[in-house]
Amino acid sequence: MTMLSVRREVGEFRKRYKWMALFVLLSMGALVVRLVQLQIVEHAKWAAEAERNITKIVRLPATRGIIRDHAGHVIAENRPSYNVFVTPQLLSEDEMNTIAGLMSLNSVQKQAFKNTVNAVPTRRRSHLVQVFTDISRDQYAALETHARELPGTDVVAVPVRSYPYKTLAAHTIGFINEVNGDDLKRLTGLGYGPGRFIGRSGVERAWESYLRGKDGELRMVVDVRGQEFDSQGNKRENKAQRREPVPGLDLRLTLDMDMMRSVERAFRGHPSGAAVVVDVRTGRVRALFSKPSYDLNEISGGLSSVRSAEIADNPFRPLIDKTLYESYFPGSTFKPISALAALEDNLVVPSARVNCPGYYELGKRRFRCTHVHGDVEMRTAIVQSCNVYFYQLAEQVGIDRIARFAREFGLGQKTGIGINTEASGFVSTREYYEKRHQGRYHLGFTLNAAIGQGDTRVTLIQLAMMYAAIGSGGTLYVPQLVESVERPDGSIVEEFQPRVRRRIAVDPAHLTYVIDGLYGVVNDPKGTAAEARIDGGVPVAGKTGTAEVSKKKLEPGEDPRRAWYYRRAHAWFAGFAPADKPELAIVVLVEHGGTGGKYAAPIAMQILQEALGGDTKIANHPAVLAAKKP
Amino acid sequence: MALRRGFQDNFDWPLFVTTAAIAVVGVVNLYSATSAAGVSLRDVYLQQIYWLTLGAGAAVLIAAIDYRHLERYGWVAYGIGIVLLVLVFLLGRNIRGSQRWIPIGSFSLQPSEIMKLCFIIALAKHLHNDPRTEGRTLKDLVIPGLILSAPLVLILAQPDLGTALLIVFVFATIMFLTNLKMRSFITLVVTLAISAPLTWRYLLKDYQRERLTSFLDPENDLLDTGWHAHQAKVAIGSGGWSGKGFLQGTQNQHKFLPDQHTDFPFPVWAEEQGFVGSILLILLYMALILWGLKIASEAKDRFGAVVAVGVSALIFWQTVINLGMVCGMLPVVGITLPLFSYGGSSVLTIMMGIGLLMNVSMRRFHF
Repeated sequence: MTMLSVRREVGEFRKRYKWMALFVLLSMGALVVRLVQLQIVEHAKWAAEAERNITKIVRLPATRGIIRDHAGHVIAENRPSYNVFVTPQLLSEDEMNTIAGLMSLNSVQKQAFKNTVNAVPTRRRSHLVQVFTDISRDQYAALETHARELPGTDVVAVPVRSYPYKTLAAHTIGFINEVNGDDLKRLTGLGYGPGRFIGRSGVERAWESYLRGKDGELRMVVDVRGQEFDSQGNKRENKAQRREPVPGLDLRLTLDMDMMRSVERAFRGHPSGAAVVVDVRTGRVRALFSKPSYDLNEISGGLSSVRSAEIADNPFRPLIDKTLYESYFPGSTFKPISALAALEDNLVVPSARVNCPGYYELGKRRFRCTHVHGDVEMRTAIVQSCNVYFYQLAEQVGIDRIARFAREFGLGQKTGIGINTEASGFVSTREYYEKRHQGRYHLGFTLNAAIGQGDTRVTLIQLAMMYAAIGSGGTLYVPQLVESVERPDGSIVEEFQPRVRRRIAVDPAHLTYVIDGLYGVVNDPKGTAAEARIDGGVPVAGKTGTAEVSKKKLEPGEDPRRAWYYRRAHAWFAGFAPADKPELAIVVLVEHGGTGGKYAAPIAMQILQEALGGDTKIANHPAVLAAKKP
Repeated sequence: MALRRGFQDNFDWPLFVTTAAIAVVGVVNLYSATSAAGVSLRDVYLQQIYWLTLGAGAAVLIAAIDYRHLERYGWVAYGIGIVLLVLVFLLGRNIRGSQRWIPIGSFSLQPSEIMKLCFIIALAKHLHNDPRTEGRTLKDLVIPGLILSAPLVLILAQPDLGTALLIVFVFATIMFLTNLKMRSFITLVVTLAISAPLTWRYLLKDYQRERLTSFLDPENDLLDTGWHAHQAKVAIGSGGWSGKGFLQGTQNQHKFLPDQHTDFPFPVWAEEQGFVGSILLILLYMALILWGLKIASEAKDRFGAVVAVGVSALIFWQTVINLGMVCGMLPVVGITLPLFSYGGSSVLTIMMGIGLLMNVSMRRFHF
């Protein structure tokens, strides 16, 4: 190494230093620019995220309001569901075996449990993982007893909705389940979030805002593992801010679950049908029964695809609310409307007789009657359900007068019960048929309309309100389902009074005449419901109906083995009791049941008898007195 | 006598002051960074002080010996470095999937750190003894290339992508001092461009690829690799103008920062001291690096100049890469922030590097 040579060679490097210095300055400058961006320009965003990082908001769920029936029986309540969480990190093979043993798991369940735990990725093994939901009381007791030996296991109670009546009034009560992504988009700002529940149908849906209450929250300062701690590393205890949840309001419905049970009993043996009972004096709904039904506990808990398909494929359509959503041909239950329309405009003298040879000829067509009734006047025509009489009557009254009366009594329009999707039904008019048949109107349409065949369709709730209006002397109510809103302590927030929809302008004498006919339907020896009459029981007035649905040809895809069933008429009974001082109006429909007098009337009688006990005196009722006259 | 006068007359005070300032701030920051982490890290800042003291001692020793003696033993130093790197594979402990440390008693030595200096010295010796002034061709790069490849291969095998990259950058910086013919330069660039995808495909480990991809698409991967980088940004950004105050950084205190005492000490500082503190720290590093370049420019021989550039480049690249990575400008690679990150070997290496700088600086008036 010589010093001279060294000195000379450094020259090669000289010119590069300033470039290096410039590069250093530029690099550091870039870092400074980045810091300006992060710490000054975007400061608010990052500060907010840092705050969010250490703030854990624990939702304190509000308990949902309890739904009770008129008598205070609990229809929908909340019960704890015990869910098992484990911390995989803390869980040894032995402990897993112990848990499986305590919970009496079979080998398949045990393996599934182990697989779940083992599948948790490393970075999440210190977190709680839910492994079982809604374990049985025995399993819960076993786990709690051995809690000390199971440090990696937590049993957490969460409230779930419970419906003690299961399938009964399921369509009316409705169910709840967890909100989904669409709901969250739709309901932004209303306090719904993941994991929250929302009413899906029936009262649970319509009264959601009353029932749900308001969630509380617990704000905690936490570290990255979600544990509370203070700056000294001690667990933070009382620093949390807490906002208590506000429990939801309770509802008292007008329903009478004892009566619902009675309806259910009365329907035994009939696979498919529906019934409605309302209070004639108030329009309060006592029973809304649709069969078959589904178990609310099952459906709100999330159905397995197998069960879900089973319900959806059931030919008796358990998902359809047959009291509100489905509409039917009213059949002969419509006849009181035709009769009242005729009486009201003095177009028909009630005592005038019409001969029924068993059919009615209109041009080339023959309209059938149920029997050969001989000479009948209006009362007998109602009692024995003579079609010929009403064909004749229809010719004089005309379809539009009948339609006007049907509307007056609430047919063809929603009743406004306020839950679920309610069908409007349909009242056929001349205009409707002319439109449908390019201006060619046949009198035959009028004839069919008068006996409730044609195209007129009603829902059970409409028919019930109509018969209640007849029974109450012309007051049409809005069907009422919720009686009052109450706080959890039982104090009343709001009480709902019966709402009159309209007072129908109808001559009381005409009503009395028709009611007398309806009384005869059940109580005259030749009445269509006479066989269903309960001797010494509550006096019932009503009308049977046999709504024909049969088709000559099979629908494409229809199972021919089932055709015999689907061609059978729907059996109706609509009426009220006690006949002299009406309290309850009832409508019973047995889908494809056959004739109304034979299949629907006995059900109605049984329900009314059980509801009213049969101790009401009827001696002074004008209808009874009239019947006693020779 | 001469030695003492040399120290008194030529002692490089700016170098000493900037180094000491960074080291002190670093220890203070480590105290905060580890204060919430529990017992295992409680005395990290004390250990850092021990290492700094030890490093200062080593620096004094290195500075005291005329670097021309170091030049003479350049190959020996290089040889020791290589032997240590080989020993890693025989004695090393596997931590987080890579083998980087040799346990010595209760401490662990990280040979790749020491190798950085040995490598600089060896390269300096080669360039010193190859005193050409005309443009160099690729043929002239063969020996420097060999000097580079031995440690590079061994470090990549550990695997330690960050340190390997660092050595390449330091090498490139030093070679930038020399004249390279344009044609050779182009050939070199083209070769690198071709080998890069091959490296990606065959040399990189899965976790390394994952880090690079997560850097390119950080939002896609907030929960895993990208999460660390993201939380570092949150810490820095939430610091704002003046910071949250010493020991008050929530990201740090609530353990949202990973490796807050090794790879991510800067977010702790930036969160607690804010923009003002961050800029001050960056100015300190900049002063140190530029001062190192000034020392190089004033060196009286090639060996001194190359060593000074090498050490400055080492500090520069480590600083820029580490800060760039915690600010979300570069992918996360395990490169420490000089004197700020906790780590015995790292502190020792930087301190010895400072000793080399001091050595060159003090002898700029000699000859």
